[in-house]
Amino acid sequence: MTDKRAKNEFLKEESRYLRGTIAEGLSHVETGAIAEDDTQLLKFHGSYMQDDRDIRAERSKKKLEKAFSFMIRLRLPGGVVSPEQWIKLDDIAGTYANGTLRITTRATFQYHGIIKSNLRRSMQAINAACLDTIAACGDVNRNVICAANPHLSPVHKQANDLARAVSDHLLPKTSAYHEIWLEGEKVVESGGEAKDDVEPLYGKHYLPRKFKTVVAVPPLNDVDIFAHDLGYIAIVEKGKLAGWNVTVGGGMGMTHGETDTFPRTADILGFCTPEQAVTVAEKVMLVQRDWGNRELRKNARLKYTIERYGIDKFRDEVESRLGYKLGPHRPFKFTSLGDPLGWRQGPDKKWHLGLWIENGRVKDVPGHHLRTALREIAKAGGVEFILTGNQGLVIANASAKQKAKVDSVLAEQGVAIETTSGLRRNSMACVALPTCGLALAESERFLPELITALEETLESAGLRDDDIVIRMTGCPNGCARPYLAEIGLVGRAPGLYNLYLGAAFDGTRLNKLYAQDVGKARILELVEPLIRRYAKERSEGEHFGDFVIRIGAVRPTTAGNTFHANITLV
Amino acid sequence: MAAVPFLPKNAPFTAEDIDVLNQLVQRSTPLQRSWLSGFLAGLDAAQAQGLAQPVPAARPRLPLTLLYGSESGNAEGLALKAKKVAAKQNFDARVVDMGDTDVAALKTAKNLVVYISTWGEGDPPQRAADFYKALMADDAPRLDGLRYAVLALGDTAYVNFCQTGRLIDARLEALGATRAADRIDLDLDYAKHAAAWTERTLEKLAPAETSATVVHVDFKTAGTSDDADEPQFTAENPLEAGINALINLNGTGSTRETWHVELAVGDTGFGYKPGDAIGIYPENDPELAAKLAGAVGLGGDALVKKLTQAHDITTLSRATVDAYAKLTGRKDVAKLLEEGELARFAADRQLVDLFEAFPEKLETEQLLKLLRPLPGRLYSVASSLKAHPGEAHLLVGAVRWTSHGKPRKGVTSTYLADRCKIGSTVKTYFKPNKHFGLPADASRPIIMIGAGTGVAPYRGFIEERAETGASGKSWLFFGERNFTYDFLYQLEWQDHLASGALSRIDVAFSRDQPEKIYVQTRLWERRAELLRWLDEGAYVYVCGDEKGMAKDVDATLAKILAEPAKGDQEAGRAKLKELTKAGRYQRDVY
Ligand code: SRM
Ligand SMILES: Cc1cc2nc3c(=O)[nH]c(=O)nc-3n(C[C@H](O)[C@H](O)[C@H](O)COP(=O)(O)OP(=O)(O)OC[C@H]3O[C@@H](n4cnc5c(N)ncnc54)[C@H](O)[C@@H]3O)c2cc1C
Ligand SMILES: Cc1cc2nc3c(=O)[nH]c(=O)nc-3n(C[C@H](O)[C@H](O)[C@H](O)COP(=O)(O)O)c2cc1C
Ligand code: SF4
Repeated sequence: MTDKRAKNEFLKEESRYLRGTIAEGLSHVETGAIAEDDTQLLKFHGSYMQDDRDIRAERSKKKLEKAFSFMIRLRLPGGVVSPEQWIKLDDIAGTYANGTLRITTRATFQYHGIIKSNLRRSMQAINAACLDTIAACGDVNRNVICAANPHLSPVHKQANDLARAVSDHLLPKTSAYHEIWLEGEKVVESGGEAKDDVEPLYGKHYLPRKFKTVVAVPPLNDVDIFAHDLGYIAIVEKGKLAGWNVTVGGGMGMTHGETDTFPRTADILGFCTPEQAVTVAEKVMLVQRDWGNRELRKNARLKYTIERYGIDKFRDEVESRLGYKLGPHRPFKFTSLGDPLGWRQGPDKKWHLGLWIENGRVKDVPGHHLRTALREIAKAGGVEFILTGNQGLVIANASAKQKAKVDSVLAEQGVAIETTSGLRRNSMACVALPTCGLALAESERFLPELITALEETLESAGLRDDDIVIRMTGCPNGCARPYLAEIGLVGRAPGLYNLYLGAAFDGTRLNKLYAQDVGKARILELVEPLIRRYAKERSEGEHFGDFVIRIGAVRPTTAGNTFHANITLV
Repeated sequence: MAAVPFLPKNAPFTAEDIDVLNQLVQRSTPLQRSWLSGFLAGLDAAQAQGLAQPVPAARPRLPLTLLYGSESGNAEGLALKAKKVAAKQNFDARVVDMGDTDVAALKTAKNLVVYISTWGEGDPPQRAADFYKALMADDAPRLDGLRYAVLALGDTAYVNFCQTGRLIDARLEALGATRAADRIDLDLDYAKHAAAWTERTLEKLAPAETSATVVHVDFKTAGTSDDADEPQFTAENPLEAGINALINLNGTGSTRETWHVELAVGDTGFGYKPGDAIGIYPENDPELAAKLAGAVGLGGDALVKKLTQAHDITTLSRATVDAYAKLTGRKDVAKLLEEGELARFAADRQLVDLFEAFPEKLETEQLLKLLRPLPGRLYSVASSLKAHPGEAHLLVGAVRWTSHGKPRKGVTSTYLADRCKIGSTVKTYFKPNKHFGLPADASRPIIMIGAGTGVAPYRGFIEERAETGASGKSWLFFGERNFTYDFLYQLEWQDHLASGALSRIDVAFSRDQPEKIYVQTRLWERRAELLRWLDEGAYVYVCGDEKGMAKDVDATLAKILAEPAKGDQEAGRAKLKELTKAGRYQRDVY
């Protein structure tokens, strides 16, 4: 068996609890890179080695190695950031990163463009903001996200607390992170591993693959609950939190041309009480730890484990480890995926601003100084920042006075609260080029202009304000959850995308391939007539994703394993 | 000519021969006649046994000290040339480096010719610094009875033109020595004037009575070329080199512009060694040439071409201002020559600014007379001939800045960067550097310190050591602005580290983090290790910008060397001097 295990399994095993030779690698000043194997381990510490793909071509001619730099992803369970923290994080962006903060599709921050010699400094600066990056990436339970604004109701607060509780409970225990990044220069002599290093939950091998957990409070499915390995849906009865419906086995990633890889919407495992929630998370993760495929990483996510064993067998195993049965899941209703935008008042009369941020990129561009604006708002203090799973931001808990201040700062810095269209409001694009090593096509740098092009049609069709979900990724990994978008675009090659249609507006149904390898012009050619027809023929309250199915443009995808079935390309 | 008797008719020659000889003897100088007699005296002996035994001179030959202070070898070269001339004029000449002697030695010197250049901002060459200090000191010895002359090298582009030479000339007189010939101050085109001055000066030093003595003629050297050991391609005789490669090594996103230039220098390749320099004769920016001509009411392709190719049209020197003032008779221009005025006005201004500020109409000839010849610029060789037969690589930093609202360009660096292409040819000349090069002993450790283009010679060093399989350890300290874009020759250093040709590297990138980190920062961090290397006999090299780096590195090295002496700075300085004298601390700074 052992020799058939995936390479990464050996890496983890021999890594001395995620140390590898990362520390030595940092001390090699002639290169901006670290050893190939260490890049795999570095993910567990919340960082990825990347290189600037825009300038790859010229580098060797200039006798320079690739323009290596590092991406750092924060662990931010619940996504709440204090003004003081915001300022510190913004400083890091300016001092060590590329001058931007990137709010991700999983409600945390990423930095890009940090060079090796600044990596340790950056980690220490993050630590100084009382935050860390442990397990933000890697084969572990990742950052637990919950976009619920804790100020809106006790239940929202409980949801947010659960996110933090699960994240902390499933956090790796290795001291490697502290040793490498915070203690500084000290390099552990090879072979030596700190005595107290044991991973009671994970063991030497950690998980077969990444593991993602989310928490949602209906009617908002603002975390795309069905796209994750593990999810909690708040069940509210008589205004109180009765417990959680538990979902398992969701995921997006697939590989072009490999039909045994596919996006999958999660199954509902059952119901648990608030007290049980954390233990349930542990047991679900442990079953995946033991049952997940360790030979084939492409097949290692929980979604494939459940496909292989079936949801019932999986439930039995979880329950036997729990020592009790989960309840039957309770009714719930989601209405949408997006964030509520604009100002709204909470029960305590405090104000909360839902702010749409294009692709989550917090930066200053001429005439639109978003980064400066948010920094000033943080400096003014009082408010709280909550990151959302839609790459968005909530400026929460503002008094009337603070609200006025926020409005004036945003106005001064040219940041509009309204978006130019319902389509843009419901759009997400992954990072892709130039930093993402896996990108096959542009995404973050292309979607905005594509939407601008579509907006003319929307305008003329009178749909400018209608909510239509459009998402784009630069490759099939699905980082912006494109398979759950009414209009999904997935990169295949530079300038070419697969076009998917027909996902449900509330995130319960995947979309279906409609056209392959289409460029900008062709995308417009294909989508515009559908939009016009939708404007004329839609029935009351019918969403675009449902409409295209009704008119037979695509067949509905009822389950992940039929995602590649019943395809008729235009 | 009565002084010279004629050959009598009964001399053992044919009538024709007697005529020829008489004509010859008549127009000969005393010196030539002495030489001739020596020649004839040795001739038969020479024929008898193939080679002549030197005949003792009838009178003792005159002692002559040819003392030089030189940084990049020009003054040194002149002193060596002078030795050959002196030998023919019955001098017993010694060529002495100020770096290897002391002032006391001058007391017995009798005849002295000084060849001295000026560096920094009017400073003596570094190896001459101690000698210079001692000479200027109050306790300097009297030098009565010493007869001397001074040749000063300099560059009119600098405010303190030939300052060191001027001060030495005055000081020798003050100490009681007799000026045998007037000092001459020479600009970058010094070569053509220097030879004549030396001839004249030696004539003056050679007292009349030697005129009738027999000059011994050494048949070994008689007739062999003076310049046999001289480099073939000199500033006077440049080589047209083709450009094989021309790459800006700084990556997109950089604030720097540094060009890697590969020159085809022929099979001989000047026979350069790593550490030597190669000169480039540039062409001016034609636009600037046209602008300059226009500023004095001139123009036309012919003139612009001439200005582009042959004249220095950027340097704003005292000499030029002085000439312009006289030519135009303008009081306001003359005013510029008053104390301190020029320094203020000329600071980051160029010739065209003078013309535009004080416009006058000039004749073409008047303009050309104002301009000195376009001088070449030196560049450290960045390659090893063994690694690149027939090629010499240079590393050229493009000089661009803005001053007084005008974008400015360094003549040579932007000539290469903007107007030369792969395949173009450039005028090059060879500039060996005796005082900057690898240790003869290949097992010696070397510590190479350089920022920016200062790394150039080290690429040559390491290539050379890789090719020859040298066993000595090597340690490079490299500094620039940004790691990602400015790590000059990064991939090559990585290969050399992997192969072991380079043992160790430390880098200092000043703009990658909030606080500034420079090479001297790294030197200090590594001081313990550095001292260990020095104990093992390491050679230390510093190359690159004087003001920007070399000064601070020098101070840091002294500070490090003071460590073993419990931080006694004097001891540190002394140790650094020792290293310098021992040739283990070599600098090539500009
Ligand atoms: C930043 C982010 C996209 C964004 O625009 O916000 C992102 C960016 C990357 N993802 Fe992702 N993923 C991000 C959310 C997702 C999501 C969405 C979600 O989880 O809700 C998915 C789909 C859900 C899923 O996991 O199936 C996702 C599925 C992947 C995959 C495919 C995983 C799979 O099992 O199929 C990869 C590739 C892999 O892991 O081998 C990947 C890999 C990557 C990497 C790290 C590329 C790499 O491995 O070298 C990307 C870094 C690009 C860059 O330069 O920043 N990313 N990635 C999101 C960060 C989330 C976070 O804060 O943790
Ligand atoms: C021994 C030796 C070795 C050398 N090796 C190298 C080498 O390897 N690589 C290399 O690049 N250079 C080297 N140099 C320097 C080189 O010779 C030239 O001086 C340099 O390239 C500039 O020449 P240029 O013709 O481009 O500029 P120039 O036309 O000579 O202009 C330079 C002058 O412009 C003025 N100037 C420049 N910048 C500014 C500013 N910011 N503000 C105001 N005034 C300014 C200064 O007066 C400066 O002297 C070396 C010099 C020496 C003496
Ligand atoms: C960095 C540098 C500084 C110089 N400073 C002066 C100076 O202040 N005054 C001057 O007249 N010449 C100055 N020169 C010109 C030199 O004196 C001139 O090149 C001389 O020919 C060098 O002779 P050497 O090779 O014998 O040292 C300077 C040259 C360089 C490269
Ligand atoms: S979807 Fe692909 S291209 Fe986009 S960020 Fe994720 S891995 Fe990179």
